[in-house]
Amino acid sequence: MILRHRQADAGKVNEWRRFVAVFLRVLFGGTVIFYLFVLLVDPYDIVAFSLPLDRRIVSISQRYMYPQIVRSRRYDSLVVGTSTVRLLDPQLLDKSFGTRFANLAMDSMTAWEQKTMITYFIRKVGPPKVLIVGLDVVWCDQSADRNRITFRGFPDWLYDDNQWNDYLYLFNVGTAEIAGRLVGYQLGLYPERVRYDGYEVFVLPESEYDLTRARQRIWNRRKPEAPPNVAPPSLSLDKRRALVFPALNWLDATLAKLPSSSLKILAYVPVHVAAQPWPGTHAAAVEAECKTRIAAIAGRRGATVIDWRINSVLTRNDSNYWDSLHYRVPIATRIANQLGPAVLAGRESDDGSYRLILR
Amino acid sequence: MLFQSQFYVLIFLPVAAALYYAAAGSTIVRQWVLIGASLVFYGWWDARLVVLPVAQITGTWLLALAHERYGQRAFLVAGVVLNLASLGTFKYLDFLLGIFESLSGLALPRANIVLPIGISFFSFQLISYLIDRLRGSAPIYPFRPFALFVLIYPHLIAGPIVRHNELVPQFALDPRREGVWRRIGIGLVIFAVGFAKKVLIADKLATVADPLFARADLRALDLGEAWTAVLAFTFQLFLDFSAYTEMAIGSALVFGVVLPENFRRPYLATDIRDFWRRWHISLSNFLRDYLYIPLGGSRNGPWRYVLATTGTMGLCGLWHGAGWTYVVWGLWHGIGLVTCRAWQQLNRPMPSIVGWAITLLFVMVGWVIFRSKSFGAAGSMLMSLAGAGGFGGTLQEVKLLVVAALASGLIPSAHEIKDGLLHPHPALAAGGAALAVYCLLEVGQGTPVNFIYFQF
Repeated sequence: MILRHRQADAGKVNEWRRFVAVFLRVLFGGTVIFYLFVLLVDPYDIVAFSLPLDRRIVSISQRYMYPQIVRSRRYDSLVVGTSTVRLLDPQLLDKSFGTRFANLAMDSMTAWEQKTMITYFIRKVGPPKVLIVGLDVVWCDQSADRNRITFRGFPDWLYDDNQWNDYLYLFNVGTAEIAGRLVGYQLGLYPERVRYDGYEVFVLPESEYDLTRARQRIWNRRKPEAPPNVAPPSLSLDKRRALVFPALNWLDATLAKLPSSSLKILAYVPVHVAAQPWPGTHAAAVEAECKTRIAAIAGRRGATVIDWRINSVLTRNDSNYWDSLHYRVPIATRIANQLGPAVLAGRESDDGSYRLILR
Repeated sequence: MLFQSQFYVLIFLPVAAALYYAAAGSTIVRQWVLIGASLVFYGWWDARLVVLPVAQITGTWLLALAHERYGQRAFLVAGVVLNLASLGTFKYLDFLLGIFESLSGLALPRANIVLPIGISFFSFQLISYLIDRLRGSAPIYPFRPFALFVLIYPHLIAGPIVRHNELVPQFALDPRREGVWRRIGIGLVIFAVGFAKKVLIADKLATVADPLFARADLRALDLGEAWTAVLAFTFQLFLDFSAYTEMAIGSALVFGVVLPENFRRPYLATDIRDFWRRWHISLSNFLRDYLYIPLGGSRNGPWRYVLATTGTMGLCGLWHGAGWTYVVWGLWHGIGLVTCRAWQQLNRPMPSIVGWAITLLFVMVGWVIFRSKSFGAAGSMLMSLAGAGGFGGTLQEVKLLVVAALASGLIPSAHEIKDGLLHPHPALAAGGAALAVYCLLEVGQGTPVNFIYFQF
């Protein structure tokens, strides 16, 4: 009887010992397997010993995917900015400028992130042949230094020069999922999401364009109206001095890193008039001051400034836009084609849709 | 260090446990190993802050020793004052300055001292020991196990609040004693349950509740937004805090130490007294023994009961945070407990489902006060719940709320798992570990979210 009890107890002990062993094997084994999978597939192309795969951009996590485009050294020029410049096709820009462009603009890319991307490009590739900065509201944001990144987070470890710290950040669901997609791409089960030069048509196909819905998005319950042709209210010297645009210091410092051989283009993006400061308001005066300071920086650093962010036939026309920020693909094509002649040959706009401020 | 970090799960806990069991043959060495691990765990946030718990523990122990040697109660009173002074300085100084400022009309500077993490927990445990000494019910312990009773890292930051006589005797037991594999196995599973609750549900609820409460500071929420915010926070708070407790109990079990129960599915309570028997049980017990009963309890007439209950709950609120909203939250529950008892004395029991609904609604109103930065914000949110901000909108993130409700109501408590629910089937071990691996992948995505109770 006692012997039977002892055997039963020993059986229980063994069961629990096996239970712990299974738990630990699955925990550590699973961890190692997932980590090895990510390291070998290496979706960000940073691991020294990863498999020799054709690494495509299979995720729209731009902040994670784009550094490898820079490190590939396939491109000598770059575009940075928010989604408002993502539709500029690098291949069209290449025709005008004789370059190899990568469009590294990202959704809601902050000024700090844009600066980080440019300096990363300089460190990894060298000074770009042509740099296009798509200027919009983020550069004139008075709280840019407090809001350096978006809610998406920013993997600054991918943009530093320390290759070793990258290994600490690869064991996570997001990276494992992208690695899985990359394997899917190799097997022909998953498509490339973004062309390797960063170009992606992220808006709906042109065939699905609906002007009524676009107008709703553009005006967002406001009554559509043409902006009045009035000058911004003048700000006193004290009020102008009180305005601080932290991102402009970054812009100045970044442009200062570039040699005179780099063509530097600061291009204000044509957002719809509904998304621009309304003429005559204080916001318009603040933006005018910001533009003045950007022109001064450009003058100092030998940059060209071209401005589509104005009240024009382009920005007043609802049918050019999907919403107040995003123009349609034909407009993007037009801008990409106009940019080269405007910057290189000083060609003015036929219809006043842009102004060449400084060249 | 956070329980739900990859470093803790994959490195710290295995290494600490391996060293602990390697030293298991020597009581002295294994206790020092655990003290060392606990100091590293605490100092991970800011190594300088380690000085505070160490100083409070040493000071308290020396004063208790002086009392033992010279028999003067003043030593123990001084110990209580020492711990209260520390708590008052680090946690309540600015709050007290604010009160003094509003009474005197003087403009006073603020200290803006960084709140050392876990100070409310370890200070209260030291005070409880000193009070037990005053009552003649606490012996003098050697310094090492005494320090370990406070420092042992699984409960150091956010409880469960443990009394010396629950823990110190356990430190003398060899962790390799009979049942070691069972304790480790159960500990790992309980940890995995807490890990999943925190990472997969509570942190997701935070992304729903936080923006809505922030929005409520700017404008009135519509009905759908308000109910979404309050339900999300209600479940988040429980799942976050109980997850911490489970990870604490699970970690401690790996070291062969049993921490007390802290939650028993509180949102199933059918009256508010029942709720407090299920919610933050270790704090409830502490308050009962060291405040409510000394204040008169329920055996000295109805008015004394009312005073003892509301006074205890008001101080319970203040323990949570240096702000009047916390005090009012505590008083709200005090009034609820008094009303509940009065109703029960009428002997007119209400149907359980009605009692449950009233209790949950009462608790949720309390959480609004608890969560809000000001009474204005709390009032605005409560008005929105009643439809003052418009009857539009629908409940958002319904799937997540349903999952959270099911998890709150169905997942057994840590001690229910420990005391017999779990059987040593390999499939359960594999499932628990696979869940933990997924949670590890999930937390690798960004900065881990702190536990709500870390701020208390």
